[in-house]
Amino acid sequence: MAQPIVKLNHVSKSYGDSTVLKDINLELEAGKFYTLLGPSGSGKTTILQTISGFTSVDAGDVYFDGQRINELPPNRRKVNTVFQDYALFPNMNVFDNVAFGLTLQNVKKAEITRRVTSALKSVHLNGYGNREISELSGGQKQRVAIARAIIMEPKMLLLDEPLSALDAKLRRDMQYELRELQQRLGITFLFITHDQEEALAMSDEIFVMNDGVILQSGTPVDIYDEPINHFVANFIGESNILNGVMREDYVVEFVGKRFECEDAGMRPNEPVEVVMRPEDLTITTVENGKLVVTIDTQLFRGDYYEIAATDDDGNEWLIHSTNSVPDNSRVGVTFAPNDIHVMRFNESEEDFDARLETYETDD
Amino acid sequence: MKSKTANLFYFIPYSLWLFLFVVAPVALILYNSFLDINHHFTLANYTTFFKSGTYLMMTLNSLWYALLITLVTLLISYPTAYLLSHLKHKQLWLLLIILPTWINLLLKAYAFIGIFNQTGVANQFLSFIGVGPQQLLFTNFSFIFVATYIQIPFMIMPIFNAMEDLNQSYINASHDLGATNWQTFRRVIWPMTLPGVKAGVQTVFIPSLSLFMLTRLIGGNKVITLGTAIEEHFLITMNWGMGSTIGVVLIVAMVIIMVLTGDAKSRGGFQK
Amino acid sequence: MTKRFKFSNLYLLVVFIILYAPILFLIAFSFSEGDSMSHFQGFTLSHYSALLRDSRLIIIVLQTLLIALLSSLFATIIGTLGALGINQTSRTITRNTILSFNNILIVSPDVIIGASFLIFFTALQLPLGFSTVLLSHIAFSIPIVVLMVLPKLRELGTSMVSAAADLGATNWQILSKIVFPFITPGILSGFFMALTYSLDDFAVTFFVTGNGFSTLSVEIYSRARQGISLEINALSGVLFVFSLLLVVGYYFLNQYQQSRKLKRTTREEDIL
Repeated sequence: MAQPIVKLNHVSKSYGDSTVLKDINLELEAGKFYTLLGPSGSGKTTILQTISGFTSVDAGDVYFDGQRINELPPNRRKVNTVFQDYALFPNMNVFDNVAFGLTLQNVKKAEITRRVTSALKSVHLNGYGNREISELSGGQKQRVAIARAIIMEPKMLLLDEPLSALDAKLRRDMQYELRELQQRLGITFLFITHDQEEALAMSDEIFVMNDGVILQSGTPVDIYDEPINHFVANFIGESNILNGVMREDYVVEFVGKRFECEDAGMRPNEPVEVVMRPEDLTITTVENGKLVVTIDTQLFRGDYYEIAATDDDGNEWLIHSTNSVPDNSRVGVTFAPNDIHVMRFNESEEDFDARLETYETDD
Repeated sequence: MKSKTANLFYFIPYSLWLFLFVVAPVALILYNSFLDINHHFTLANYTTFFKSGTYLMMTLNSLWYALLITLVTLLISYPTAYLLSHLKHKQLWLLLIILPTWINLLLKAYAFIGIFNQTGVANQFLSFIGVGPQQLLFTNFSFIFVATYIQIPFMIMPIFNAMEDLNQSYINASHDLGATNWQTFRRVIWPMTLPGVKAGVQTVFIPSLSLFMLTRLIGGNKVITLGTAIEEHFLITMNWGMGSTIGVVLIVAMVIIMVLTGDAKSRGGFQK
Repeated sequence: MTKRFKFSNLYLLVVFIILYAPILFLIAFSFSEGDSMSHFQGFTLSHYSALLRDSRLIIIVLQTLLIALLSSLFATIIGTLGALGINQTSRTITRNTILSFNNILIVSPDVIIGASFLIFFTALQLPLGFSTVLLSHIAFSIPIVVLMVLPKLRELGTSMVSAAADLGATNWQILSKIVFPFITPGILSGFFMALTYSLDDFAVTFFVTGNGFSTLSVEIYSRARQGISLEINALSGVLFVFSLLLVVGYYFLNQYQQSRKLKRTTREEDIL
């Protein structure tokens, strides 16, 4: 792997009694789109601020481009931030806001004008230079904030929940635009969000955080398909999580039945949790079903029906189906062995990865 | 329809007040400025005011002193407000800044009579460091000093409020874009707290034109402000016509200050 | 970083010393034997006992309090009604015009208010004394009350009133059950501000009071002009403790209100 652009080495931070970062280790490669995903208070903004320089760490080292930058003040770091509330200076118009960073550096006027024009163009705001900040809509402010940051040509752009104030439609548009912008500029983006859909859609790699700890990192697909624990499974996407027992390698027992699965490397008869995604469950006839459930309710979601059902043992199931099923009818549910994902209790990410190595290479 | 009558009901005492105590007095002072001692219509008061050098000099002096007081007050108050807004229990500290304003102004002036006395602590200190006792009381210096002392909290409050409205993320954004502390101050903090400064200048400058009790108690009769002149004409020489004329000049000066610092409010709304 | 922190604390310390030194100086000498503020001459409470025996001063204190309470009460009633009226005016131009008239007395220098009221009362041939002082204090307190109540009314907005009307409340019920409880903090702080303005006023009272009637400020002024009397120091000691109590009370009342507000919002979150 090439030299990481950012490396956090055993970083810890606490405010008074509350620890917000617990021994964080993290490496970011240049040119990728990273996302820190977690509920509010999980420490993701603090990580961002240790990189931007607005928070000093209590312990550990922060490296940027191979250099330790713990003591470097924010104004001398080669990263720029798009703030959650945009923080556009209300006493300046759009042009002056975008030009702000350049005007501090004795850049020539013509050069500033050229670069501001091009920065505004790249966020689709040509001709907005003379507007006052108070005249802009939320989405436009968002774009100005991005233009103001990228004009500095940073090696890395930090985005602190930049889409959280926008409405759903605009959010989706901006997701595409941000992704496209990142690929065009080719710089590293570190994006913060508590919205799992946003994270899955945009990122090359996601870090899932909770309580000051990075629980799991990986590509969106990895994290979605193989969540490390209950929290990640629950936080990302919809899921059915059940208690079970790992009888032996590739055999797991839950809801009183044994099923073939693709997980291994655990102790025999180890208690585990089983995750099944609603879209991996297929409704079939009672005879063909691995399980039999009774339909409780269903909601039409546009591209699928979200069906709530209960099996004979009283476990509740969430199923996504393209077809409607009559309420109160008894149906069978089927799934493939690779739709079952088994999670051990309290397994760390290293152990998880190591265990996966042991049997996935066998294939 | 009901709300219309209710509206009228609310408004009766209030509009009575507006008319009797706001419109009528201003009109009366304007009217009186055109009267001589025998209540005959005349323009003499204005011609006296603008032709005799003493009145013009006095006006200029008064403006100059008010300007000095405002500047010194601002110089002391701005850093104070800035530092206060960064303290932990800032509301409590602000309250401690406001507390002295609750002590009657005249008591504070009286305290300075004791301090600036020939034998007062200020002169004791000057003797101690070898300068020797000076005439402090009844000088321009003591007037400016005491007026500044009295006005400081009134300057700190609006600036403090402006600092409070200044979100930390603006300062972070500025640093993030590479600005040094000084650049951040000049480009972001100062322009964004300017409405507070303007409000402070308003509340300090205008009263400073009229602190006649201070000129009487501290400045002796050497410092004459517009306020002192008005008091003298109304209560001592009983020349209400001339007093009203000076009053009109003071009102005009006030309006000019208000216009100069006027965009404080319209700009103040930018937080949204 | 730590160095700058220390320097800033030092700066604030100096400002606080400057603000409080004259007041503490004044109070310290209230315990000094002798009759000057130059050298402290041994502890005594004699000036305080002299204060208690000074029946003229005690009557003046009572008069001052009476004026303050009555004027604040009337001003609060008229000002609150005025604010309700202003809040209901639908045309912005009318509203802004009324508001600028409202603010005239707030920005005008005391001397102008005093002089114009003097002309006004004389024109009405009102005898100068208790009634004119009371009227003046009511007059200059009303706009302050309006400015304190109006933001609360704006905060109340229209949706809550509409909701009450939708649920069948009459105009009077809306006013008594929704509007008044909501704006009570504004009314209280308006009353409070009016009280302090009245207690603090010197210049206006000085103009409109005759020979027979006096308030504390006017009395201090005339005594201070005659020179130093440590009885005034004793008086300032008493007043300082009084204001300190008021400020502390006000602070804790504020904290209490905020914590209640906080509790209420957290409870709402629980429900949600």
